[in-house]
Amino acid sequence: MKRVALILCQAVCALQIGVAAAEKPAIPAKLAALLAATGEDRKPVITPEQRTYFEGLNDHITALLSNATETEIITRADHLGSILALGLRPQKMEVLLQDNCILCHTDPEVQKPETLFSLSPPAGARPHLNLRHVVDDVHFARGLSCSGCHGGDPANDKLEHTHVKEWPGTDRDKNRAWILAFCARCHSDPALMNRFNPGLPTDQLAKYKESPHGKLLIEAKDPRAPDCLSCHGVHGIRNAKNPLSTVNAKRVHETCGACHANPVTMAGFKLPDGSPLPTNQVAEYRASVHGRALLERGDLGAPTCNKCHGNHAAMPVGLASVSQSCGLCHAGNASLFDGSKHKKAFEEHKWAQCAKCHGNHGIVKTHDGMLGTGADSMCVDCHQQYAKNNPECNATAEYFHATIARMDEAWSQFGVVAEQLAMRGLDVDPIHDKLNELADTIKQARAHIHSFSRNNFDQVVAPGNKAVESISALTDGAKTEYRSRQLGLGASIVLIGVMMMAVYLKLRRLERQEEGSLR
Amino acid sequence: MYYQPGEATAYESMRYLTTKVPFGWLMRSVHCWSAHLMIISLVAHMFSTMMLKAYRPPRELTWVTGYIMFALTLGFGFSGYLLPWNKLAFFATSVGTDLVKSVPVAGDWLLHVLRGGPDVTANTLYRFFALHVVILPLLFVGLIGIHLLFVQRQGMAPPIGQKVAPRGMKFFPSFALRDLLLWLFCFMILLVLAVFLPYGPGIPGMEWELGEKANPLEPAFPGIKPEWYFLWEYQLLKEFPPHLLGLEGPQLCLLVVTLLLGIWAIIPWLDRQAARNEPSPSFSDFGWGAIVFLTFLTLKAWDIGGLQPVDSPASIKVISRTCAWWTLGLGAVIVAVRWVVYKHRWFIFTGAALLHVALHGLLGLSYLTAGAIAGLLAVIAVVTRVLAARRVKATVGASP
Repeated sequence: MKRVALILCQAVCALQIGVAAAEKPAIPAKLAALLAATGEDRKPVITPEQRTYFEGLNDHITALLSNATETEIITRADHLGSILALGLRPQKMEVLLQDNCILCHTDPEVQKPETLFSLSPPAGARPHLNLRHVVDDVHFARGLSCSGCHGGDPANDKLEHTHVKEWPGTDRDKNRAWILAFCARCHSDPALMNRFNPGLPTDQLAKYKESPHGKLLIEAKDPRAPDCLSCHGVHGIRNAKNPLSTVNAKRVHETCGACHANPVTMAGFKLPDGSPLPTNQVAEYRASVHGRALLERGDLGAPTCNKCHGNHAAMPVGLASVSQSCGLCHAGNASLFDGSKHKKAFEEHKWAQCAKCHGNHGIVKTHDGMLGTGADSMCVDCHQQYAKNNPECNATAEYFHATIARMDEAWSQFGVVAEQLAMRGLDVDPIHDKLNELADTIKQARAHIHSFSRNNFDQVVAPGNKAVESISALTDGAKTEYRSRQLGLGASIVLIGVMMMAVYLKLRRLERQEEGSLR
Repeated sequence: MYYQPGEATAYESMRYLTTKVPFGWLMRSVHCWSAHLMIISLVAHMFSTMMLKAYRPPRELTWVTGYIMFALTLGFGFSGYLLPWNKLAFFATSVGTDLVKSVPVAGDWLLHVLRGGPDVTANTLYRFFALHVVILPLLFVGLIGIHLLFVQRQGMAPPIGQKVAPRGMKFFPSFALRDLLLWLFCFMILLVLAVFLPYGPGIPGMEWELGEKANPLEPAFPGIKPEWYFLWEYQLLKEFPPHLLGLEGPQLCLLVVTLLLGIWAIIPWLDRQAARNEPSPSFSDFGWGAIVFLTFLTLKAWDIGGLQPVDSPASIKVISRTCAWWTLGLGAVIVAVRWVVYKHRWFIFTGAALLHVALHGLLGLSYLTAGAIAGLLAVIAVVTRVLAARRVKATVGASP
């Protein structure tokens, strides 16, 4: 019986092995030879990682690879290795293996150094020759490969070059305005873009034309003006959400700074008042509260250049639109400012609203010293010059400062007291609840100084004042309870002491009685 | 009355007890302080019994019942620790019960029984609650009865060399009143501690602030440590590599701990000199060696002298060195007092334990390598000493 079962098992196993062997087609001879090729050092040219990747490919991709070797587009093991080393997922590998442009331009035997695409281009080579950039490009992922921009027929194995007619025949680098129209062939076509990314706007060119960048390139034909490629790159254009993208939130300041932080590039450009356009914006931004939030803490909600200036329609933030721009995030503060009497005064003086007190690129973390009439006050300079006859303004500023400082100090002190009481084993949860209320009020009060109205401010701080009173009563109650605990302990110790004394006296008496009986 | 075991109620009821119930805070504080002081008292009692050889016949079973009660007391501590269902207790219990997996063959089954499932859940809480308030107390009451019965029947152990204990006193009223006097004094101290230090003395592994509620979905936070009386075992576990001698590190560690505790349990039968009512300095030294061994591991588990981050190799090296100096200092005091005051001349086990500490902490050898060297030297020294003693005995016996 056992023998029959054994034979049956062996038969089933053999059948399964046979089926598995039949499912996996044999590797064609040419491809197999390349995979098995060894170098001068007698080691396999195809690395184990590349071999593992190859073995994981599906039949369709293996067939395409085999076809490339049969048609002798891939003839060398190192060429095959460089393609396998990309480790592309099947969809991208399919695009690549059907594109003779890439297959030919990655063959080190055929190409000159200036036209060879590789994973590690030699130092000093043009950056667009990086093969990794090509296959990571957002266009490549959607099937748009070399011929999409350069023209030609990627299926043509004669490898002829027929560049598209939109490319200027000569002086392509001198006047780059043609690039705008070239990219816009697709990016300004809503019907076409809808097929690939329905959410992507198609008004980039229109916006760009209206921007100072666009005018500089199109009208002034200034070679320093940026075109699409200046910000997005040539090959390796990635989605803005990709951290490697040059227009990713965390890299925008570098991309803009490539020109705006370069004094040579920016030489000759002037502000409306005639002073030279500064080139310290990136340095200031990096040190600012926004820059640190984005670059150090990774807070993607923090703004970078394009949040205030726009991207394709990038331009200076106008005086009248500063509070609109800041208000995109700081909506509460902007709304309070807009409803305040300062709004009109600022407009009369042509002051840049928020930026007048907080700065622009180098905005630092605010502190309570900015209020009042102290050394760090933001109010004094303007008020001494323009509002000398309004002493109540100084009084209001002092009142704001004193009220917030008082509540802040109360919050800190009661926090310490609560900690001490907690360590003594008292219930501090109600105190913490009130401390949270107070902290919330302080936050609200700091925002409501932008109303510059004492009445409005008082309404906001009223719950805070009540919270301070409650906390004071609660801490007093807790301290009283602790004292009563100590008193209770003292009474217990006295009681226990009396009992101990009584026991001791009883023992003494017993011992004396025992001694007496022994005598 | 107030505590309600359950995932949704344990923490909340503890919080209610300590913040709202009149004197609830005092009850919890007294409970926690008593638990720790009870373990301290038992450790002191056990070592004094060991040093005075009070375990010698006919009191072997008194020692064994005491040993089991000590184990049950640790069980009280471990089971009670989880009951507040706070963050620290939850993760410390997860790590602590995980060790059971290392028991060969039945490890997984035991873990399942202990936890009431594969993980620490409300089932574990119910089990630990039952253990803490029903099973362990019943066992403890039975054992303490037997222990006291033995003490009552056999009397107090006389000092070595004497056959009869000094004349005692009547249990009632003389002894009972003295006991009451001491009890009142201890109770007073306990009250003072409970009022002034309601969450413990602030020593790691000896604090019981309720903190945050346990969240089983959160990852365990780093640096979880058990209560102080389990720290030596926790540190010993850390000293073992993941794999050694064909076994997993925790398995081997468990084997070593079981071996050491096993030796400790059968000491009355091993100590033949004490059984003959003769001084047995080797076993006294074994007790002192055990104190040095436990002290070093506990100090190291407290990360004394550690740098930031505490788990970095540089920090671990500094911790080992600092703890070694502290332990060597304590060892020097122990040896000096024993030499001068008690005229002891047997220091092989204490010496080996101190050599182990010095090789590891000062010379940087791994804990196990240092232990192997010190252990080997101790074995050679013991064998040499025994052979020399036999030779002397044989010479004395042969001489006319």
